Amino acid sequence: MIAAVVFIWLAVFVLAAFVWRREGRQGLVHAGDTALGTAKTLMLRLPFALLAASFLVQIVPVAVLSDLIGAESGVLGILLASGIGGLLPGGPMTSFPIAIVFMQGGAGLPQLVALIAGWSVFALHRLLAYEAPIMGWRFVALRMASCAALPLLAGLFAEVLVVLAGID
Amino acid sequence: MKIAKTDIVFIALALVTGTLCLLLKGPPAVLEALSHAGLLLLGILPQLAAGLLIGGLVTRLVSKERVAGMLGAGSGARGLALATLAGALTPGGPFTSFPLVYALWTAGADAGALIAYIAAWSLLGFNRLIVWELPLMGAEFTWIRLVACLPLPMLAGLLARYISRLRAFELAKAPAE
Repeated sequence: MIAAVVFIWLAVFVLAAFVWRREGRQGLVHAGDTALGTAKTLMLRLPFALLAASFLVQIVPVAVLSDLIGAESGVLGILLASGIGGLLPGGPMTSFPIAIVFMQGGAGLPQLVALIAGWSVFALHRLLAYEAPIMGWRFVALRMASCAALPLLAGLFAEVLVVLAGID
Repeated sequence: MKIAKTDIVFIALALVTGTLCLLLKGPPAVLEALSHAGLLLLGILPQLAAGLLIGGLVTRLVSKERVAGMLGAGSGARGLALATLAGALTPGGPFTSFPLVYALWTAGADAGALIAYIAAWSLLGFNRLIVWELPLMGAEFTWIRLVACLPLPMLAGLLARYISRLRAFELAKAPAE
C-alpha cells in the first residue's frame, strides 16, 4: 500500500518535470487547474459513493454461495461464478481473501478464474464508487455491454488450460 | 457548489443501502460501514490526488492529435494493443486509473481503446498480480488465470468499437478540458 503511494507520487514528479521542461511554470499551473476541475466534480459524490459501497459490503452474503460453484458445476457454475464475482465488494484486499474462502470451500479452478475475472470486469462496487461518477452512465453501459462475456470466456479458457495441463 | 444529477444518484444510493443495512444487520453494522468508508476515504486521498495530477499532467504532455492518432477510432488493432499494454502496466487502484481514463477520453482516445485499457488494467494489472494474487492464490492459479485472460481486453475493445456505432450505446462527445 505504502509502496504503491510512493510509486504513484514518483510518477507525478517525473511527469511534472517533463511538463516543466517543455512549458515551464505555465504548464504546471494549467495541469493543476485541470486536476482541480476534476476534483471539484468528485468532491460531493465520492464520499457518498464510498459510503454506499461500504453498506453493500455489509449486505451481500458470501459464504452461502460457495457450494454452488464446485469443480463439477461446469459451464453453469462458471456463469454463476462470474455473477458472484461481479458482486464481490471491495478492492483486492477484500476480494482475494473472499476468493480463498471459496477455494477452500471446494470451488472449481475454472469457476474461480471466472469469479476473479467477474470481479475484475464487473466490480459493481468500483463501478458505483469511481467509474460512474467520473465517466458517466453512458460509458458504463457501453463498457458493460462490451465486457459482458469476458468472465465466461476466461472460465472456459481456464477449463481448457486445466485439461491441457492435466491438473485435477 | 453546484449539485449535479449524478451527485443526487449517489446520495440516494447511500441512503437506500444504508437503510437496508440498518434493517438487515442493525446499528452496529451501520457504524462499521461508516467507519470503513471514512478510513477508506482517508486512505485513498493521497492516491486520488496523485491520480488527478497525473491526469492533468498527461493532458499537457500529449497533444490531442497525438492521442487521437495513437488511441483514436482510426488507430486499429495497434491502438487496442497499446491501450492493453498501458492498462496492464498502470499501478494503483481505480482512484488512479479512472482519472487517467478520463484524461485520455478528453484527449481523443475512442471507446474501444478506453475499454481495452480498463479491461487490461482490471484483468491483467501487473501490480495487483504481484502484490495480491501470487502470494494469496498461488502460482498455479495465477498463471492459468493470467493466460485465460490475456486475449480478453483486445476482444472487449473490438466489441466496444462495434457496439459504440449502435445508436443506444453511442458514446457522448468527450467533455471539453
